[in-house]
Amino acid sequence: MSVVARLWQALRNTVRTLWSTVSGRYAVTVIAVWVVVSLISLVWTPYSLWQMDGYNVWAMPSAAHWMGTDGTGADVASWLMAGSRTDLVIVLLTVALSAVIGMCLVALMTLGSTWSSNATVVAVDALISIPTVLLALVLAVPFGASIAVVVVACGIGYGLNLARVVRPQALLVANSGYVESALSNGASRWRVFAQHIVPNILPVASVQLSLSAGTAILAESGLTYLGIGVPSGIPSWGRSLSLSVRLASVHPLTALWPGLVVALVVLALNLCGDVLRERSGVHHAGVASRQAASEGGENDR
Amino acid sequence: MRFVVRRLMLFVIALLGISILIFAAVRILPGDIASVMAGMNAPPERVQSLREQLGLDRSLVQQYTDWFSGIIRGDFGTSMLTGRSISSQIGSRASITMPLIILGLCVAMALGLPLGFMTVAAKSPRVRGALRLVGLIGGSIPALWGGLILILLFARGIGLIGILPSQGFPTQGWGSPPAAFMALILPAVSVGVIVAASLMRYVGAAVGSVASSGFIDMAMGCGMTRQQALLRVGCRLAVPQLVSVLGLTFVEMITGVMVIENLFALPGLGSGLVTDMGNRDLIAVQSELFMLASVFLIIGMAVDIAHRVLDPRLDGTDDMSTARNEENSAHANPDEQEVSQ
Repeated sequence: MSVVARLWQALRNTVRTLWSTVSGRYAVTVIAVWVVVSLISLVWTPYSLWQMDGYNVWAMPSAAHWMGTDGTGADVASWLMAGSRTDLVIVLLTVALSAVIGMCLVALMTLGSTWSSNATVVAVDALISIPTVLLALVLAVPFGASIAVVVVACGIGYGLNLARVVRPQALLVANSGYVESALSNGASRWRVFAQHIVPNILPVASVQLSLSAGTAILAESGLTYLGIGVPSGIPSWGRSLSLSVRLASVHPLTALWPGLVVALVVLALNLCGDVLRERSGVHHAGVASRQAASEGGENDR
Repeated sequence: MRFVVRRLMLFVIALLGISILIFAAVRILPGDIASVMAGMNAPPERVQSLREQLGLDRSLVQQYTDWFSGIIRGDFGTSMLTGRSISSQIGSRASITMPLIILGLCVAMALGLPLGFMTVAAKSPRVRGALRLVGLIGGSIPALWGGLILILLFARGIGLIGILPSQGFPTQGWGSPPAAFMALILPAVSVGVIVAASLMRYVGAAVGSVASSGFIDMAMGCGMTRQQALLRVGCRLAVPQLVSVLGLTFVEMITGVMVIENLFALPGLGSGLVTDMGNRDLIAVQSELFMLASVFLIIGMAVDIAHRVLDPRLDGTDDMSTARNEENSAHANPDEQEVSQ
């Protein structure tokens, strides 16, 4: 099977799993709407983003402006639609980056020599207490506000997290009998990693990645509000939210929408992770690794 | 003991690494710091004198050692903008941020601990499901928006029930404790509610992993009901993990409250750092970033050691990575960044 066909199959299975529960259905629907709206916003938004109307600022929701207008008279709904694509890109890039970083760290932990795997474990533990926001601040000093700062800071932070979360499972597999026999049959370490370790940590990793996706959206809105996230002029949910917050006391209703959109989408991603965890029995992984540890085979505890 | 020594060594190495990273981040700016700090239209002589004053004409290694040895002696440098020493600036900001975090953590614990325990211990599966959903919803709300809703509800002059101040901190600081305390209530509740949601899920995960272990079965075999067993045995077993989580949550909140500090116009550590960055007060930024990073590393270490002390079962093992491990292996739920938004 080609890689594309395999990915498609995996996606279909995931959606089918999600669809079997109520919260999963909510998650799939919201995420599908999000993707569709992002695509539509590339070619069409109700109003042009830069179409301002000085006589119609802070308008209440109406037939002409579904969500009202902001302080420049621009249409809030249009900005939110356009923002959804920026956030989609940020989420996809962040998840991809954190997956790559996480997997590299896991590879170092499971494939390398004892020294390199210990060093990786220690480095991850020391760095994990540095919060993403601080990382973003450090990056923003030289590079200023940019989407890259959000993606890199979140990608590193969540990648470290991912590595730590999948570590018990990865080590369990790496020390298992079938990996040993694969190795003694002459399989290369990379082959073992790709064929045995990755498929085994995939359930745990996918749960963690979907939670990271939600957190990335929250991070975007927070960092953008602080002026170190998405630069001004580029539509994003964080931008809409922070613009409306500054004058929320005067025009509370316009502040409602961006936050609501963010909360609904993040909830969808969190529920997605929750359902995947339930269905894959991921929460038993901890018990399994604990047993392995108490049997003395593993030094992870 | 050996564990403590190794953990200390790790701390020192991490601290050096972080200091180099921060130093580098400030230096790789295009152009040099002096011209950035002096401003666009500064005359060249002003830039030159600033450069000498900051020691930027010396080699990078020299600059780094000067800065770092200053920090070790407790000299964080002087803010270019206010002329005050950076350490006193940090001190006055911390006097707002720390009480805010502690209050927020109290709110979070008051809500998160019992609710999280109930997500596992409640008898009815419906209640358990509902509580889990509450935790998930709480974790999906942007801090900015949550704070905003509280302002719209309770802020004096704006809100529906306008009883609490929502902007700024009394100018005399803690000189008048009631006023200062009042100013912190709304921000602390906004932070607390959001942290409570993630705490709730952690507690649920920690107690849940203990609940499915043999210890609870054993206790029930000795005649306790499931509830009793979870309360008396389960809670004690979950304590080491919870202490780790609380420690890390505390750390996360230092940056996590940045948005809230900004929203409520509190001149705390986080909003101060953002202000300094906006003002291009780079020497202050450099020292403040380092100060924050070292606090994170110190608490990270303290948490690891506390975890050891509270869980004597770990004594036999010698692995560095021990502490804080379990909440992850128990449950793939440590979305720790949650707090920071």
